[in-house]
Amino acid sequence: MDFISNKETQNKEMLQAIGVKTVEELFFAVPKELRLASPKADDGLSEYEGIKLMEALAAKNTFPQFDHYLGAGAYDHHVPAIVGAVCSKSEFLTSYTPYQPETSQGMLQIIFEFQSAICALTGMDISNASLYDGSSACAEAMLMALRCHKERNKVVIAESLHPHYRTVVEQYLISHQTQIEVIPFLKDGRLDMDRMKQLVDDKTAAVLIPYPNFFGVIEDVKKVSEYAKKVEALTVVCANPLVYGLYESAAEIGADIAVGDGQPFGLPLQYGGPYVGYIACKQELVRQLPGRIVGETVDTENRRGFVLTLQAREQHIRREKATSNICTNQALAALACLTAMLWYGKEGVKKLALTNYQRAAYLKKRLQVIPGVKIQESAVYFNEFVVEFSQPIDQVLAYFRKHHIEPGVDLSRYFHEMDHHLLVAVTETKSKKQLDHYVLIAGELG
Amino acid sequence: MKFSKTHEWIELNDGVGTVGVSTHAQNELGDIVYVELPKIGKSVKAGEEAAVLESTKAAADVYSPVSGTIVEVNQALTDQSDLINSSPESQGWIFKIKISDTKEWDALLDFTTYQAQLK
Amino acid sequence: MTKTIFEKSQVDQHAYSLPKDAPEFTEIHPPEKLLRHSTLNLPEISEIDLTRHFSELARRNAGIDNIFYPLGSCTMKLNPRVNELCAAFPGFTRTHPLAPEDSVQGNLQIIEELIEILCKVSGMTAGSLTANAGAQAEFVGIRMIAAYHAKHGDVKRTEILIPDNAHGTNPATAAMAVYKIVSIRTNAHGDMDLDHLRESVSERTAGLMLTNPNTLGLFSPVILEIAKIVHEHGGLLYYDGANLNPMLNVVRPGDMEFDVMHINLHKTFSTPHGGGGPGSGPVLCNDKLKAFLPVPRVEKRGGKYQILWKDAESIGNISSFHGNFAIYLRAYLYAKLHGHFGMRRIAEQAVLNANYLKVKIGKLLTVPFPQPCMHEFVVQADKYLDKGVSALDIAKRLLDYGVHAPTIYFPLIVKECLLIEPTESESKATLDRFVEIMTIIVGEIESNPELVKSAPHTMAVSRLDEVGAAKKPILKHV
Repeated sequence: MDFISNKETQNKEMLQAIGVKTVEELFFAVPKELRLASPKADDGLSEYEGIKLMEALAAKNTFPQFDHYLGAGAYDHHVPAIVGAVCSKSEFLTSYTPYQPETSQGMLQIIFEFQSAICALTGMDISNASLYDGSSACAEAMLMALRCHKERNKVVIAESLHPHYRTVVEQYLISHQTQIEVIPFLKDGRLDMDRMKQLVDDKTAAVLIPYPNFFGVIEDVKKVSEYAKKVEALTVVCANPLVYGLYESAAEIGADIAVGDGQPFGLPLQYGGPYVGYIACKQELVRQLPGRIVGETVDTENRRGFVLTLQAREQHIRREKATSNICTNQALAALACLTAMLWYGKEGVKKLALTNYQRAAYLKKRLQVIPGVKIQESAVYFNEFVVEFSQPIDQVLAYFRKHHIEPGVDLSRYFHEMDHHLLVAVTETKSKKQLDHYVLIAGELG
Repeated sequence: MKFSKTHEWIELNDGVGTVGVSTHAQNELGDIVYVELPKIGKSVKAGEEAAVLESTKAAADVYSPVSGTIVEVNQALTDQSDLINSSPESQGWIFKIKISDTKEWDALLDFTTYQAQLK
Repeated sequence: MTKTIFEKSQVDQHAYSLPKDAPEFTEIHPPEKLLRHSTLNLPEISEIDLTRHFSELARRNAGIDNIFYPLGSCTMKLNPRVNELCAAFPGFTRTHPLAPEDSVQGNLQIIEELIEILCKVSGMTAGSLTANAGAQAEFVGIRMIAAYHAKHGDVKRTEILIPDNAHGTNPATAAMAVYKIVSIRTNAHGDMDLDHLRESVSERTAGLMLTNPNTLGLFSPVILEIAKIVHEHGGLLYYDGANLNPMLNVVRPGDMEFDVMHINLHKTFSTPHGGGGPGSGPVLCNDKLKAFLPVPRVEKRGGKYQILWKDAESIGNISSFHGNFAIYLRAYLYAKLHGHFGMRRIAEQAVLNANYLKVKIGKLLTVPFPQPCMHEFVVQADKYLDKGVSALDIAKRLLDYGVHAPTIYFPLIVKECLLIEPTESESKATLDRFVEIMTIIVGEIESNPELVKSAPHTMAVSRLDEVGAAKKPILKHV
């Protein structure tokens, strides 16, 4: 099938109006030797067959049958029903970039509200309209810091940043030949502060600290930002935005730029995307902020309206001197994120964050007492933590899976020495019954 | 007052040149919303980018007509970027530069020549 | 006067519900000294008010489902609802990106098969779906070109050639990869100036970025010559797939001698534009470059799909996980529904619709390039400048007639231009109505130009003060 309206009758009339006999004539500029022959047989599907095909493919995925505890940058939270309803509205779903603001006030206001909500959560002054995801947000923040410090070409990154995020940062910086120094983590997953002090110097444009880090640990970011300020290096915090519902905001811990992925609010796992990157900063850095920004203004009748603003930073105007090449971002995903943040609201976000913390802490507490299971006690967590088993990890995974539990991310795939370790995420979706069941199975591993 | 081919004007006084953009340039750009001023102490070569003017739809580089060191910038432009539109060749001056090579001044265009090459 | 959701906040009201906490949960307290103290300034709003707020905002917006949207360079074709239906299956939405391979065989099959379909359509041999949009895909392609030259010890290649009519993302991308941009002129016929190309190419050329048809909607008949010139000097060719719609199964970028390219799934493959994303930018390439494709990659071995997470020659990761999976999932279905047969039909109809519209509109506006166009065409409104009416004014007046304006002032090299792309979706009646509306507006320019100059009059807002917005930015609720 196709979605083409015009049929032979209309096409004949149009060809006549143009003054050609066949459509082929319109492709005159294409060299004959390059032109493909028309496919003979119709290898398409009807809508019904298409749906059946997709149902069969979805059924091949057995993962949804598992009670899973996977996190590592993609978290299983409840997606409020209103999110789908709002995002599927024609006026949002099928519109495009608001180049004609008079007909796009809806989306522009949504982006303005998204920017406001991100600022509310992070405590920063300005946010942009979204970036692709958390990893590119980190990369863009590094580039932004380098633009703010044109004479410096070094950044310092925590080794406990999400490994995928780190490789994307390297991807964006490699052409600039930026020196990238890595602060190692200690045995309990926390940042090696002594090493941090050695690495962050007056040649450093920015230091990037995750919050929580890849192991779920909450770092003492204030210590880092205070130190960074002495050498005028920018502090960039990469956070799961839900953490700001419980712990100190990016502003409170001294961040200059706050980035991360808004996925925990309103975006299902959907195999890794679309998610939504965010970047927010202090007022004085606004002109270096990449991506789209929406601002408030008035029309000729003095009515309030919204427009894309500060566009001279962007690729369609500044071209090779743009702050970024980003054009299409994650607008609809930002809408999903905003809707969920609003559904929870001022009090709900706090309660959501707290219950995430408590359920994870409960599981941690109960696992800790199982012989053969080790969990670091010195660090502070949010809703994710590392569990060390005494059995070989393959055995652990196999046993849990037999009981339809996917117990966590095998950390040996990222850190060779962590070969008995799983990264376990717990959200508000886990009932006491589920958590107790996890504990039971872990206890049987012996 | 002399002009460069790239629409900057410069007025020389005691070895220090005051630089701005021509009436023609500000007209082409439209309402200036922001000016990226150079750092004081920065040394520039003739033809090098020294400042940037932004309108809502475009960004334009301001090239220094001569080589030298930036000694002063027009801070008023921070809050009143529209001075460039209303008074481009007077109150809308952008920066002052201590020139290092007077021969470059001689090579610049006078008003008549500049106007002529606009066509 | 519109209110933001923050201004609709009412004390203690909320929409959320949370599972009840067991006492074993609530007795655990987080460490005091790390707790947030600053106020969390999110609104307090009930579900009904939240619902109505978005309904109100929807009334102040419009998409393809509502109006004709001939936005050139954006390919605003119908976003089929069957794609939305299938993308929402829990079998897809509930899969975690780090799920064990054998538990997500359906997802991996989709990735592998979609790449195969896109390779067939593009004339390439390998690809990656991990870039999240066209611009990011361009960056991947340029990085792959850089990796290729680095591997061959070719360190002198510091320049990228880009036509002067290119989309802004092209030079911005090249700059992100720290290349010097060399701009190539367009000639009076709307094609690349080959002499200027010959002057500009050298042993410093890493590559050329090009879209064909170009941003004027014109297919360059000398494309093979362009490719030869660049390849002879050791450069590689990047194809910006934004204009792929008229090419589907008619001609393939690979056959045009391009080495690497991207496709905008939110253009050519109907995935929803979402008000500005999310998109998806698959990268396809030939054998010369496939070793450098990003990871993760999907491979089929012995009837099962496997994920390759790391590879020594790959340029590495470009996104957090597998890219915008739920977006290219929609493109997969779209491709399967059409088949290669249907995709050819798309290309032919897109070109037919565009040329019909061009012939009709050509009676009202200046047509700078008279030859048949591909899927989009440029017209100029310069003849109305003496009435004080510009392309912008015409665009705004179109809104009053229930049509979204075409792209204006792009490409930058054509004065007072409108770039019009109807796509294959539109019926002849819609195209005729558009011509009718343009005729009315041209009449208004004659009889009542003020009406056009101050348009729109029937939208939620009239023209907005963009200068004020830039001078005194208000970028969030205060």
